[in-house]
Amino acid sequence: MDDERREELRKRRERQLQKMAEARFTVTHGLLVAFLTVVMILHVLGLYLFTSGFLLTRVVLDDKSECGIPPIDLQSSYTAGSYEKGCWHPKTFDKAVVIVVDALRYDFTVPFKPKNEADKPRHYHDALPFLYETAVAHPERAILMPFIADPPTTTLQRLKGLTTGTLPTFIDAGSNFAGTAIDEDNLIAQLRNASKAVVHLGDDTWHALFPGHFEPNLTKAYDSFNVWDLHTVDNGVTEHLLPLLQAANTSKWDVLIGHYLGVDHAGHRYGPDHPAMAAKLRQMDGLFREVMDVIDDDTLLIVLGDHGMDAKGDHGGESDDEIEAAVWLYSKKGVFGRRQRQPTEPPANAKLQSIAQIDFVPTFSLLMGLPIPFNNLGAPLVEAFIGSKGVDFENLARVYRLTAAQIQRYMQEYKQVRSLDESATAHPEYLWGLANRMWELTTEEPMDAIKWDAMFTAFYNYQAETISVCRSLWARFDVPSMFNGIFVLTIGVVLLGIYARGIGALRLALSPGFVKRGGLGLVLGSLAGYLLGAFITPIPMVQAMVFLAALGGSVGIINVFYKARRSLVWPIPNSIWAWVAVLFTVSLSLGFAANSFTIWEDEILYFFLTTMGALFLVSSVRQEEVIDRALGCYHSILFISLGRLASLSRLCREEQMPYCFSTYYASSTSSTSSLWQLIIPFVLAFVLPGIVKQFYQATNSYHHSAVLWLGIGFRTALCLGAVFWSLDAADDKEIFGPAASGTLKTIKVMLAQIVLGIAIPVGYSIYAWAAPFLAIQSMSPNAVSTSKITCLSSDKRSRLAILGYNNAHGSRYFVLVTMWTSAIILLQKPMGAGAIGILLWQILSLLEILHANKLQDSAIGPTTLALLGSFHFFKTGHQATLSSIQWESAFIPLKTISYPYSPILIILNTFGAQILTALAVPAIVLWKVEPKRKGLLAAVGKAMATHMLFYAVVSLATAAWAGWLRRHLMLYRIFSPRFLMGSVVLVVVDVVGIFFAVGGTRWSFLSVGDVFGFH
Amino acid sequence: MAVAKTDAINVLNTDTAKLYTHIHPILVLSAYYFNFSSIVADPVSSLIKFLIPLNVLQIAYVVICLPATGTAQPPPVLKSSGMKPAVQKKSPKGKSVSLASRITPALLSLTLSLALGTPLLGTILILFGAPLTTHIHHTILCAAHISLLSALPLIYTHGIDTDKWRRIAALMIPLDEVFGAAVGTCIGAWIGAVPIPLDWDREWQKWPITIVTGAYVGWAVGKVVGGLLVKGKVIDLRP
Repeated sequence: MDDERREELRKRRERQLQKMAEARFTVTHGLLVAFLTVVMILHVLGLYLFTSGFLLTRVVLDDKSECGIPPIDLQSSYTAGSYEKGCWHPKTFDKAVVIVVDALRYDFTVPFKPKNEADKPRHYHDALPFLYETAVAHPERAILMPFIADPPTTTLQRLKGLTTGTLPTFIDAGSNFAGTAIDEDNLIAQLRNASKAVVHLGDDTWHALFPGHFEPNLTKAYDSFNVWDLHTVDNGVTEHLLPLLQAANTSKWDVLIGHYLGVDHAGHRYGPDHPAMAAKLRQMDGLFREVMDVIDDDTLLIVLGDHGMDAKGDHGGESDDEIEAAVWLYSKKGVFGRRQRQPTEPPANAKLQSIAQIDFVPTFSLLMGLPIPFNNLGAPLVEAFIGSKGVDFENLARVYRLTAAQIQRYMQEYKQVRSLDESATAHPEYLWGLANRMWELTTEEPMDAIKWDAMFTAFYNYQAETISVCRSLWARFDVPSMFNGIFVLTIGVVLLGIYARGIGALRLALSPGFVKRGGLGLVLGSLAGYLLGAFITPIPMVQAMVFLAALGGSVGIINVFYKARRSLVWPIPNSIWAWVAVLFTVSLSLGFAANSFTIWEDEILYFFLTTMGALFLVSSVRQEEVIDRALGCYHSILFISLGRLASLSRLCREEQMPYCFSTYYASSTSSTSSLWQLIIPFVLAFVLPGIVKQFYQATNSYHHSAVLWLGIGFRTALCLGAVFWSLDAADDKEIFGPAASGTLKTIKVMLAQIVLGIAIPVGYSIYAWAAPFLAIQSMSPNAVSTSKITCLSSDKRSRLAILGYNNAHGSRYFVLVTMWTSAIILLQKPMGAGAIGILLWQILSLLEILHANKLQDSAIGPTTLALLGSFHFFKTGHQATLSSIQWESAFIPLKTISYPYSPILIILNTFGAQILTALAVPAIVLWKVEPKRKGLLAAVGKAMATHMLFYAVVSLATAAWAGWLRRHLMLYRIFSPRFLMGSVVLVVVDVVGIFFAVGGTRWSFLSVGDVFGFH
Repeated sequence: MAVAKTDAINVLNTDTAKLYTHIHPILVLSAYYFNFSSIVADPVSSLIKFLIPLNVLQIAYVVICLPATGTAQPPPVLKSSGMKPAVQKKSPKGKSVSLASRITPALLSLTLSLALGTPLLGTILILFGAPLTTHIHHTILCAAHISLLSALPLIYTHGIDTDKWRRIAALMIPLDEVFGAAVGTCIGAWIGAVPIPLDWDREWQKWPITIVTGAYVGWAVGKVVGGLLVKGKVIDLRP
């Protein structure tokens, strides 16, 4: 009885101890996550500071042009001020129909002319001949011109340019998801002031920009982001547009704006060289013919593209194909002309002749008798004002004088608001004076066409010079803010470096101090910034708060380091491995200073990874233990070979041409997968669970929930994902006919949701509740077990072995990685799914290599994972360009845009590789580790800090180079996108690494600790 | 780097050997330099042609300067150490080994480095990102040059003992002018890949000229550094 009691007491005591250990672990773990979060906040603050100074800003003037107040005395018999006759200049048209065809590239509209014999017409050629035909047949009725967009070539930015006549600034590029209303003077507001009834049909971006400006009864807006849907918007617009054009209805409106999205969506979904594009263009062709037939003489018909598309059908950047849209003006009055000696047919390409998109603003204003919007910088279209005979230079000179005067008025105002340097505007001022002195002569001397032509040229020169000055002015950067940002990022790198590689045993013991002092520093800093900003006016409050908060947080952390200075070591590499990790990180970062190395980043990463693999191989050959040597060599060779296999998946960026061949999609001009690529997801579903299972079996860990998850859950998710992509291809090719499209879509979306349901909720349930993957095996007492832990049973007749003991932590944690793998594989195109599958295999191989070479504690593991993640970013069909974002991936499990899911899906698609490798970082430490090893959590923190350090260095480098090279020709094409990518990746990896990876170790530690205790 | 107990290769103890080992890299590099423009103009045929002088020079080098496998001299023993084993035979003079007995292993090494080294190095080049479907001849020739530079003297001096080659693959043998040259060739070829992506539009940026050039320069540097500065040390790969 006493014995029993004692036993009971002992058990209770043990349970209590276990509970206390568990609680202690939970607190330590929480503090580690909290400290890493402070580091993340430092990163975000630094990036904010840099970004606010780097992404271009332009002061928006609120002034509006007024009908009665022309910018300069007209000096003619015409009196200004009447909307009826035309405000500043006699108007030409009463009504206008503006048809915006999203992404109407110029070469879609002109006949195909082969450059050489091998040049064959593409699907997009000659499908829309109408615009060209009319311009050739009736030059006095129709003008077709290349229409050059100012990048960024996103619809929202372009609509701003097309209605305000201003140059865009980079910061707005990101706001395409949630457009904001335009405050500046613009065409739509001027139309409203003139009491014109404006009807809008189509893309709802217009309503975000001009809320409440359109006739509410007639206007019909459509969701613009569902790029899988080619027809809903277009058919809807046509359905409402054509009735309004009938004579009976023309009194209901003055200006009709129809915005078609089908061409853009066909580009995004299939790429331009696809039958769907040809069909879409032919549909547009037919539509224009119909519209042309019904409009009357006083109506101006305009068809324009807001931007072009690149070879894959995407846009956003500034390549020639993206900026070269088309514009077509048509009127039955026959008022258009061409300058003498200019050919009457439209130019064959944009190199020969083109107009800027902002030129639309003064052209439209003056033709419709509106005042030119205050902020406009564009010039009127010569062909629209020169008269049908092409000799009315007086009219041309007058409209150019008006436009120039308005620009001059704007510049004066802008100079006052933003005290500009006199020298910057000196040359345009000189040209303005020159043109005005010439104008004074016109009243004194008899004028002829040649003199008026000279007059026109003088005002034209002023406008051209001003716009180039403005371009450079608005490329102004807030250098102090950028510098502060880089300063904060640098401090972040140094502190993280010391934390990751410079403190020994104290890492976790210091966490409370870090969190307390770092957090206090952040709060005090922002408070100080608030006070400074509130009492000293010239200091911008937000900037000061952000900067001082970052500084305060850093000082707090430095303070803790200082107190623990005796146990700090300088984080200087102490082995070849550490040197290699530093060398690769630094040389990659230095490479971002050169545009070539930035362009070829994918190949450089591949080269580095193979080098790593070779070093691993050499080191593996050295291993004394045969098993280590064999496993190390096998996995090193596997690691290298898999990398070579993955490197075959390529999506080239424009600058890599012609040295690169895209394999990611069916062809370089499409964004659909070819038929053979559809097999990849099925192969994955068949093979990948087995591969992971083998790694588990090698450590005897394939039991219980591991079987449930890897054998059933993981495999089912991959299978359903493969079916999804086959159905998607069937939908693309309309195998079941167009009628089945709706049903098919519903099934697809449902399938995708099931896969994500298995991956995340089901996966997490298994992950959170599973016991460690252990099993007891009994065998004869003399048998030798692969398991290190065996014990003789009490009757000495059998020996018991704990299977899976050697990898209890690793196998338990790795479930988390495979869960996210199944979600990310679904969200990739088939080729990308293959890349992610290879990535998972490479991660497992790397874990074995690191174990065989005893490198779990080295910086090489987390760095190789970071290189691996960055490499597979490119292998999943991405590049460091805006146009390579696969927006359509938001519609895999959803039918419409829905926050916050759509952005999360796009992040999972874009940065899937980096997310997976970040999740795999704790596995470096936990794979094949003795369950009772001490300090595992500290090692996890160390590995994750090292991993974050890589991305922090890259982000710092890309920011520094982008800032340094801010006048570089390639800034917007290469350095800005790479900086943006670097900063987004840093934040994503921080979030995933801290909350999902280190945060996720909580469950695996608790579950293993439950069995083996906390150490 | 730790100094290993195992023997590093010493140049034969003859005046010719000691002289020629220094002249050799100068000869090879100047030959390469004078052929450089033709290699840039037509890599395939020029690299094939240049294999012949390289062969001749390398064979001359190993025959004149290096101890063939199995005939290696013991390292010169420092007087102070006094650990000279009594049983050791007196080191054979270079001249005492007949020329023929050295030419045969040299030719064998040549055959082996071309027949085995080239495909192996070619595979490695492809794994490092050499074009898979095009430029096959370029890649093979590049591999042949690297193999002749690095593997030929290694095979000549170390033979084909499996365990020895495991140690070579693991970079565990001590650095000397032969092994140093081999490591230098690899590092040089590695660095040679750096200028390829740059947008300088130079003719010499095309595959595989930078790699071959890097290999030659790295070979010469490695030979000098391995033979003089870090002789006897072993590369440390401990974590």
